[in-house]
Amino acid sequence: MQVWTKLFAKSPFKPLIKHSEVVLNTVETLEKALQHWYDGDYEEMKKIAVEVDRLEDVADRIKEEIRDSLSSKLMMAVAREDVLIYLHMQDKVADAAEDTAKWLLIKEPGELPVEVKEVILQMGMESIKAAKLVHEAIVQMDRVIESGFTEGEIKREYEIIRQIESVENKIDGLDTKLMQLVFENADKLSWGDGFYILNIARTLSNISDKAKDAAERIRLMMNK
Amino acid sequence: MQVEPWLLVTIILGFAMAWAIGANDAANSMSTAVGANAITPKQAVIIAGVLEFTGAYFFGKSVTETIRKGILDPTMITDPMVLVYGSVAALLAATVWLIIATKFGLPVSTTHSIIGGIAGYGIVYAGTAIVNWGKMTQVVLSWILSPIVGAIMAYFIFKALTKSIFERKDPVRSARIWSPFWIGLAFVVIGTMFYIKVLHGKDLKTGVFMYGVPLGIIVFVITYLLIKLRFPSSDPFIGVEAIFKKAQVVTSGYVALAHGANDVANAIGPVAAVYAVATMGLSGMKVPVPKWILALGGLGIAIGVATYGYRVMETVGKKITELTNTRGFTIDFSAATVVLVASWMGLPISTTHTVVGAVIGIGLARGVKAINKNIVRDIIISWFVTVPVAGLISAAIFKFLMFVG
Repeated sequence: MQVWTKLFAKSPFKPLIKHSEVVLNTVETLEKALQHWYDGDYEEMKKIAVEVDRLEDVADRIKEEIRDSLSSKLMMAVAREDVLIYLHMQDKVADAAEDTAKWLLIKEPGELPVEVKEVILQMGMESIKAAKLVHEAIVQMDRVIESGFTEGEIKREYEIIRQIESVENKIDGLDTKLMQLVFENADKLSWGDGFYILNIARTLSNISDKAKDAAERIRLMMNK
Repeated sequence: MQVEPWLLVTIILGFAMAWAIGANDAANSMSTAVGANAITPKQAVIIAGVLEFTGAYFFGKSVTETIRKGILDPTMITDPMVLVYGSVAALLAATVWLIIATKFGLPVSTTHSIIGGIAGYGIVYAGTAIVNWGKMTQVVLSWILSPIVGAIMAYFIFKALTKSIFERKDPVRSARIWSPFWIGLAFVVIGTMFYIKVLHGKDLKTGVFMYGVPLGIIVFVITYLLIKLRFPSSDPFIGVEAIFKKAQVVTSGYVALAHGANDVANAIGPVAAVYAVATMGLSGMKVPVPKWILALGGLGIAIGVATYGYRVMETVGKKITELTNTRGFTIDFSAATVVLVASWMGLPISTTHTVVGAVIGIGLARGVKAINKNIVRDIIISWFVTVPVAGLISAAIFKFLMFVG
């Protein structure tokens, strides 16, 4: 009789959406920190960067819970492995945001060329787009399943995935631009400054890289 | 020996059996609606209780088989006391098994439980020759067929429903047209079922054309107009769900009504057998059932729903999140269709088994996000053991009663 409760296991999709919300929140908070960093308000930036770290912890906890609930006893609309790998990638997006926050906290920015700072800020803003799109993608995946894998919904999902890829492309371009800028300004920057900037850039572009990996996993979920 | 005290015992046991039926089965009729948040558990209990009682009291068969579904050869039971002891044993065994199954949360067939109980005492009394094995084979076949056919039916209905609504260029528009069609079609089945299951009609044609089609058309028009007046949302998903939500309350209510009309016989059949012996001193195959016994059965089921079903539906209402209204509707619709076609073909099919099959079918159509495989396995095992276990318990009780009696 309680069969209904038992028969339908908790599907991981609602928790996955919850997780992506936290991930998005983490990236958005990072962008705020970057804004203060750009404005040269180091004290305020520190406070917010610490918040990024806290949010990443929250995401981790949700991730653990989802993993624990996903036993092989379930018959799911999509392969369990795909869900687990997707979750891993989605979580990596928050991890990358946290890594960036760590680099921001490592030292006071001091005097950096304004064009360098601008590119970094831009990368931060694009990262939010990537995180937002990942959130949209998992919400849409839920809907794809809701609809019983209908063409229209799958098409909409592909469109989101395509957008994630294009954002990733854009950030890649910004990343290259930044690397060039660092070397063009080599005489104005110390070795440490260069290392610091390039690592911020690397971790920032990681956000969209992982977002793209997550999107690819969703594509696999739909193909099966 | 006096039969009256035994009549009292049987009445109490019949009541207990009815309670167990209410607890194990009736909750299922409403749980898709509760699970999809169409109604609250409290509303479900009230609706189910009232409809189960109405079904049992007003539409329960006034003539019932004393030996359910003709499992035993009645000519081989010459001593009326055997029928009395046997009925007590079968009722007690079925009740015990139902309570055990309910405790473990397994949806077993109440009909199979009572059949097991009856076969159990029959074999102890007169050996295996007394059992109508042809009937028994049919019953066993229904364990296997009901869930499979239920799953296939649900798979296709779900696919057709999503294809006709969500896969169109303009889902909102197609939802407006196709939702009334699907709901209307479901009510053709329900109208026909009402004639066959609730009114115990025999002629399928009469059912389809006198009840099914007119009801379907009326419901189609009502739904069509309701949607015309206000379509809840520009989002086809939310809009469609809202339409099916309302339809589901009605389909679930129908399931409860039909369940009361039919399954009350499982509880009162044996009571009627003892009543026949007590009043006429006869052991017959079919006997008239006084209204008060039907009322008793109906009341038992209603109390079962309210006392035990309530808890279940509450859990269900709070815990199932993955069952939407279209899916709940698909389950009800396919189960009803399968049961209808099966009764028309004369196959004994179990609603419980069909419903579980339908749930799995929707899962296979990738409509349900996660199904618990372990529970599916447990449920299937419980179906296979229902008849033997009820039979063994009944055999033991019967032997004991014959020994002391």
